[in-house]
Amino acid sequence: MEDSIILKIDNVFKNFGGILALNGVSFAVEGNSITGLIGPNGSGKSTLFNVISGFYRKDSGEISFKGEKIERLEPYSIAMLGIGRTFQISEVPEKTTVLENLLLAPKRQCGEGVFNVFLNPVRIKREHENYLNNALDILELIQLRELKNEYAENLSGGQKKLLSLGRILMFEPELLLLDEPTAGVNPTLVKDLMVAIRNLRDQKGITILLVEHNMRVISEICERVVVLDFGQKIAEGTPEEIQRSEVVLEAYLSGSSKRGLLHEDS
Amino acid sequence: MGLVNFLVYLAIMMGIYGILSLSLNLQYGFTGLANFGHVAFFCLGAYTSTILVLVFKMPFVIGLLGAMVIAGLFGYVISIPTANLKEDYWAIATLAAAEVVRIFFLNEDWVVGGGPYQGGSFGIGGIPQPLRSLFSAYTYPFFYLAVVLLCLAATYVIINTLTQAPFGRVIKSIRSGDNLPQALGKDVRAFRMKVMAIGGSFGGLAGCLWAHYHGFISPNQFMPLETFIVWAMVIVGGKANNRGAIVGAVIIMVFYNSTRFLKDYIPIEEVTLASLRMVVIGVLIVVAMIFMKEGLIKEKKTLY
Amino acid sequence: MTFVQVVINSIVRASELTLLSMGLTIVYDILKFANFAHTEFAVVGVYLALFLNVSLGLPIVPAAILASMVTGFLSIALDRAVFKRMRSSSGIIVMVTSLGLGIALRNSIRAIWGADAKNYSVPLQAPIITDYFRITPLQIWIILVGMAAMFSFHLLLHHTTLGKAMRASSDNPELAQASGIATEKIITRVWFIAIAFASIGGILIGLETYILPYMGFAIIVPVFCATILGGIGNPYGAMLGALVLGFAENFGLYINFGALLNLGGILGFSKELFIPTGYKPAISFIILIAVLLIRPRGILGRKKEG
Repeated sequence: MEDSIILKIDNVFKNFGGILALNGVSFAVEGNSITGLIGPNGSGKSTLFNVISGFYRKDSGEISFKGEKIERLEPYSIAMLGIGRTFQISEVPEKTTVLENLLLAPKRQCGEGVFNVFLNPVRIKREHENYLNNALDILELIQLRELKNEYAENLSGGQKKLLSLGRILMFEPELLLLDEPTAGVNPTLVKDLMVAIRNLRDQKGITILLVEHNMRVISEICERVVVLDFGQKIAEGTPEEIQRSEVVLEAYLSGSSKRGLLHEDS
Repeated sequence: MGLVNFLVYLAIMMGIYGILSLSLNLQYGFTGLANFGHVAFFCLGAYTSTILVLVFKMPFVIGLLGAMVIAGLFGYVISIPTANLKEDYWAIATLAAAEVVRIFFLNEDWVVGGGPYQGGSFGIGGIPQPLRSLFSAYTYPFFYLAVVLLCLAATYVIINTLTQAPFGRVIKSIRSGDNLPQALGKDVRAFRMKVMAIGGSFGGLAGCLWAHYHGFISPNQFMPLETFIVWAMVIVGGKANNRGAIVGAVIIMVFYNSTRFLKDYIPIEEVTLASLRMVVIGVLIVVAMIFMKEGLIKEKKTLY
Repeated sequence: MTFVQVVINSIVRASELTLLSMGLTIVYDILKFANFAHTEFAVVGVYLALFLNVSLGLPIVPAAILASMVTGFLSIALDRAVFKRMRSSSGIIVMVTSLGLGIALRNSIRAIWGADAKNYSVPLQAPIITDYFRITPLQIWIILVGMAAMFSFHLLLHHTTLGKAMRASSDNPELAQASGIATEKIITRVWFIAIAFASIGGILIGLETYILPYMGFAIIVPVFCATILGGIGNPYGAMLGALVLGFAENFGLYINFGALLNLGGILGFSKELFIPTGYKPAISFIILIAVLLIRPRGILGRKKEG
């Protein structure tokens, strides 16, 4: 059904000084679904995320969100359209507590305006109470509540991943691009994460596109999977179809020998 | 100068530089903007207020507000082409901008309407002091000190409120890089421009207070070394801590002014003394950046 | 002032600037920070040469060479003492540190030698004067030294192992380190070359004009401008930027903008309109802002990701 497609990638190319990171990638993501994006290292997954979210500029092709072309917008404008993303290496501002990280996320906060700070203190306080409650709930969910006043930079890699997830949830996106959300997270928590991600789809109507290397996660929660290799889509289908695909197996097996030491992304 | 007079003078200077330090700290400490041209705001504020009050015979308050508006506007304008640049480009651009401002006032005496006010490299003298006639020569400095401290307090309250508000959260995230704030929908460029405008306008306030206290301004008073002194204050006192900024101003001002008297006790030339003072400032910056880059009073952790 | 004279002045200025900008750009490329003490190092060289030349009586050429080399070594020592501790620090921290170092260097010189203008002791040489231009032997020397410097830089980059290592290191620092190219050794050599060249540039300026403690600060904006204009991190960019800026500064003062605005009589603009000489430093600033607005990577700079 055409009108339920929330994200459409159409023949996107991206060249990095000679290296063709994205070589004509096309696929569509249906609204209110969980789609996986996999591929060997250097296949263009993170590049694609960066292009969709506006951090890189595509060379050619079209990307549409909810039917509208996203054209040459700054990353923050694309975010405000409703596309949230996490980063492969968690971004954590210095000297910011876990709680502060979450409170940073909500959009259009009254207290972010210079004049509002002085003219609208009541509303700011009200919003703050609201955000604080939401934040504490989310911290509970990702099991970081006890660390709420810790500086985020002191967290472990896995905890930072969780923090990134919690933060982007506070942002309340419609489309969520998750870059390796379970990397470094301990296995018992991964189960809870998978439940949480499914809940995002079911209860909040969020669409999720996730890059993952953990095949268990992919097969358990993704409805569809897109496979990239060398910047091209080599397969698309259900997790079962992908696991049985020879093309995909071939791509992963021949992996490290084909790739040089230098890979900008994965 | 008697001891009391000197102490009042010192306190006034601490107040004025405290305002400069707070405003630079907002830009560097909180937002990560390497503003190497802060003296430009100081200079613009001083000249704007002087011209408004001396030439156009406006009341002091108008001069003060005008100083803040012009300096703030300059901060906004200078960040239009630079707001998306990396820190090293930003640094040289602000440095260059401050020099152009100074060169402008050095060359243009028409700004002051020519005639009895001179201007240009001669500077402008006879700047009226607000409400001078209400006080005796002895008590007036105390009044001025009160004015300066009031302005310092207002600056502190305004900047501190901003940095503790969600606004402050955003600029602190910008300090560590653009990626996260962009991903969370924050217009990073606009925030940087606002910080330059706000920081700039308080720099202008300091300039106005300076001009009306000294009664004489010239481009020589607004050399880059002023910027560097304020940097030392921010770094030594405490990066991203508003109380630290004031403490830094106090410490550096004490150091700077106490060494003046060495001349009376040690046979040393003025030029040598002034140079050695700056050597210490330079070394302080280097040492602080290596061993103590957060300053004496560290950034406060926000707790809810 | 004739057209030819302006061209000569431009080339002389470009030669001076290129010696300074090449060094700034390679330090930026290899060490990844903007060294705000760069021109101050050059001034150390200037005053060391002054000491050797005037106080010790050495002729200017050996004095200049010796002073540049000593200053080069000094920069290595300061790198070890200060910047080596900060190899992994963020750019802004190192940059501010270099600012502090520059302040300390500049004012130490001023404390030792005083604030008065000084001059090298060189034999007076008669300028060559024609109807169209006037050029001193010194200016000819400056142009020749500038050209020699550019040429030797080119040789360095393409015909030495150090040059190859520098180019590799600048393209990909992690790979260079992994391949066994000892980056610390490169850093040492880069400092030496950068600062030695810069010192020569400063000495040439001192020979042509005066020697003042703050002369480094007076030239910092033009040098940065030339470097950024050409493309920071690219030595050929530094040369190109210096050339463009040398011409821009001199032609900027020479051109009668009134005649330009007149558009050959169309607008009836009859006044003469020159940029006042007092604004000469502003020319490099305006160019800098224009470059940052339009094309921050400069003429020869590489485009970063995105």
